[in-house]
Amino acid sequence: MPVQTISGKELTGLNASNISDVAQHFAGVTVKDYGGIGGLKTVSIRGLGALHTGICYDGLMMTDVQSGQIDLSRFSIENIASVVLFNGQPTDLLQPARMFASSGVLSFNSLQPAYSKALTGEVKMKVASFDTYNPSLFLNKYLSPKWSLNILANAIQSAGNYPYIEQLNSSGTNTEKKNRVNSDVKSLNSEVNSLYHFTDFESLSFKVNQYYSERGLPGTDIQYSTYSTERALEKSYMSQFLYQNKNSCYLQYQFGAKYNNSTARYSERKSTYSTLTDNTRIDHYEQNEYYLTSAFQGFPTNYLTLSASLDGWYNNLFSSSNINYYDAAKPTRQTVLGSLAAKYIHEKLTVSANLLYTFTHETNTKSDVAADRKRLTPTVSLSYQPLEDKNLRIRAFYKNIFRLPTFTDLYYNDFGYTKLSPEITNQYNLGATFAEHYSGLISELECSLDAYYNRVSDKISIMYGVPYSSVRNIGRVDIKGTDVSVKASKKINSKSDLSVNLSYTFQLAQDYTAGSATYHDIIPYTPVHSGSGALIYRFKRFEYGYNYVFSGKRYIGQNSNASNVLNPYIDQNVFTRYTFRKFSCTAEINNLFNANYDIVKYYPMPGRNYRLSVSYKL
Amino acid sequence: MKIRKTLPLSLFVCITAFSFTSCKSDDPVDNYNLTNGVVVLNEGKYNGNNASISYYDFDTQKTYSDVFTDKNNRGLGDTGQDMIKYGSKLYIAVYNSSLIEVVDAKTGVSKKSISMVNDSNEPSYPRSLTAANGKVYIVLYDGHVTQLDTTTLALGSKIAVGTNPDCSVISNNKLYVANTGGMAAVMDSTVSVINLSTFTEEKRITVNMNPSTIQADSEGDIYIASNGNYGTIAGKFQRIDATTNKVTDIAVSVRNFCIVDDKAYIYNFSYDANYNVSDKTIAVYDVKNEELLTSSLISTTLDNTPYCIAVDPSTNYIYVGTTDYSTLGKMYCFDSTGTFKYSFATGINPSKVVFITK
Repeated sequence: MPVQTISGKELTGLNASNISDVAQHFAGVTVKDYGGIGGLKTVSIRGLGALHTGICYDGLMMTDVQSGQIDLSRFSIENIASVVLFNGQPTDLLQPARMFASSGVLSFNSLQPAYSKALTGEVKMKVASFDTYNPSLFLNKYLSPKWSLNILANAIQSAGNYPYIEQLNSSGTNTEKKNRVNSDVKSLNSEVNSLYHFTDFESLSFKVNQYYSERGLPGTDIQYSTYSTERALEKSYMSQFLYQNKNSCYLQYQFGAKYNNSTARYSERKSTYSTLTDNTRIDHYEQNEYYLTSAFQGFPTNYLTLSASLDGWYNNLFSSSNINYYDAAKPTRQTVLGSLAAKYIHEKLTVSANLLYTFTHETNTKSDVAADRKRLTPTVSLSYQPLEDKNLRIRAFYKNIFRLPTFTDLYYNDFGYTKLSPEITNQYNLGATFAEHYSGLISELECSLDAYYNRVSDKISIMYGVPYSSVRNIGRVDIKGTDVSVKASKKINSKSDLSVNLSYTFQLAQDYTAGSATYHDIIPYTPVHSGSGALIYRFKRFEYGYNYVFSGKRYIGQNSNASNVLNPYIDQNVFTRYTFRKFSCTAEINNLFNANYDIVKYYPMPGRNYRLSVSYKL
Repeated sequence: MKIRKTLPLSLFVCITAFSFTSCKSDDPVDNYNLTNGVVVLNEGKYNGNNASISYYDFDTQKTYSDVFTDKNNRGLGDTGQDMIKYGSKLYIAVYNSSLIEVVDAKTGVSKKSISMVNDSNEPSYPRSLTAANGKVYIVLYDGHVTQLDTTTLALGSKIAVGTNPDCSVISNNKLYVANTGGMAAVMDSTVSVINLSTFTEEKRITVNMNPSTIQADSEGDIYIASNGNYGTIAGKFQRIDATTNKVTDIAVSVRNFCIVDDKAYIYNFSYDANYNVSDKTIAVYDVKNEELLTSSLISTTLDNTPYCIAVDPSTNYIYVGTTDYSTLGKMYCFDSTGTFKYSFATGINPSKVVFITK
């Protein structure tokens, strides 16, 4: 199964401020970004759609049962050690069953400093364009050689009122200069982690995370209007523990639990809300998750690994609004996942397979409720080394999985439809990887090439209507694509080195819905060509970097016609960093050539902007 | 005009992100005038900045897909809600840009763009337009009606009406406004009656919940299509008597209608279990004799969903605009017997038709 990792120096060499900035450097990933620090950011893997991407933080999956997608803008890269993208699923078998339950997983892991008697950590201040201030603090203390404790706090304040150019006609010959309004952000992310190692192979980790954010939602750029008043207040609290025991070479196991509570309050002042207090509409949402997981892995022979995992969790959602002529639904969902997996490794061949069983039961205060679901879904993968002395591997996988309808799909007022079936994905992948160490021109080289064919069927599609729209399982999307990535590095001498990362994706994601008026048209917001690159040069105490992300043209509507084209863009960034002992200073220029572009139409992205960070390691 | 329910942010984002489209001609030509044909206002998609005007010329049988941009080198804005012709000008209410565009009815060139704001300088969202006595009456979705002098193009005084007023009609020097309450905690169920001599609200007449389209016949009776609350309270077709103000239910299912020559041309449809549109019909109801003339005038199967209906008073040809809410729409033309004559492409969501004849 294809796995891509960005960690360490590669991670700090991308001008990235949050996880989505990193994710767009993976081959096959399309990031959807509504612009600015507070703009919603999601990732879609290989054209399948963002709701098929599982988001995993420190070993356990994140959740949003209402919309089905996690906003990556809230995850800053401070304190993150690595970001990993798994096509299909992680290859390690000792995993929660939930890790096998998405079409792909974007996983990020927090930093775990090495043992030291002293208090270690980092204090950092970032100042950036548009009145952006971002102080952060990370402290780690080993209470004993076995037990470490760390805390993280990261605060962001930004006006975010960046200038952009609005097009008043399609040729771009008539434009208006505007500034984003109602785009300010205040957020605070704080976290405490504890890690206790009973032995080298047995550990208990515990995490508490609290997140607060109050921000404006500038919304669509509306021609001839600058009015925007929608605000979002979000609070979330999460705690989790994970116990892992790998002491035995016959049987290993892990147990985990998690509680997550998140609330959101949206408000919008508009003259048309004339009967509401202060002309303001207020919506409240609250959701909870209680989650338990257990996983076992055994090694009956030298060649064979068997594993079993069982997860169970409970979700609920409460909503209310002061514009409420509906009885708001209060849905709950109980989910049980069981997975059986086997892996066979023999000389040049690795074969693994797993079968996942999903059971869900839902309740609702309204009479209408989705029926229980029971599904069995398989995954098979293999990897083979064809040449004796070369580190060339051929890999292939097949995965069948689905995403459940979200609570919005099922229960939102008239829009929701409780008879929805899951949206199914089938993925077929064939590829090769090559890795080599040299002593010549290049020191290290890693290449991968994968061709894939994916199908999304029973697609949960919006059926537009009057007076309201609804959702139904219609539609099929077929995606044919190729991901290419190359990593090369060169150690020039003891004081300097150079590294290059490149990725490119070709994908044709097309509507294959029988009888569709847009049959064979390209799916909106899925570029045929996209890619990224990063170049980092280190010399003594200095580090210089250049990186870019490009996307070919996209279509904003179902019709692949000229009027729906969203122009290609290339976003290029540079930085320089100076590190002296414990002190480090970074100056960044983002969107160096001031490209005027939208990732999502009418959600303009910032032009050239600057960021300066100063940090001191304790 | 359609009642648009507001959606939660997450849903709103996913809908708009995947669906808005723009409709602009690649090759602007501006060497034509609106002299003899059909002018169609295309609502576009909400938050899509793609309201537009299409023009079908009777003489050349040619369609111009984006008159406003051709003539003004800029888009019309977001959500074209209503358009009327009065004198030599077209008046266009652009809802989400909160603008009134005053356009020369022959050349299509904008004479004035009037930003509609309330006393706190916030958008007031123009919703429908009517004209009489040298004034255009602008219904504002924030619960007001204001007036525009058609000579000076200056705004006059403003009065309050019910909650979220939608369509309007003038009869016997009175302006009738349907108050929907579409964005209120409880929906409205009234029609405001405004005396145009004094420009004051005389009364509110209670009708079925969430009234929308409102039209008048030659006797001054007012006809209303209402939507109800989409659940326990169903939509209705009702008449307000011109003299007694008594409200009477009419047993005809109506999504939208227009009255020309004392005939109400009505379209209706329903949704099947797969949320596909079914039972699309055009009915004709005699508003003078109060009888249904036909429940199914046309035999042609319409593509997609009816979105507007209009009748050319000079020919009695019936125009029905259809939409799939995301791609280009279509305008059908039938003669008075329901025989299909021709069709032409429109922009997204064709919402209003104006006839310009020699």
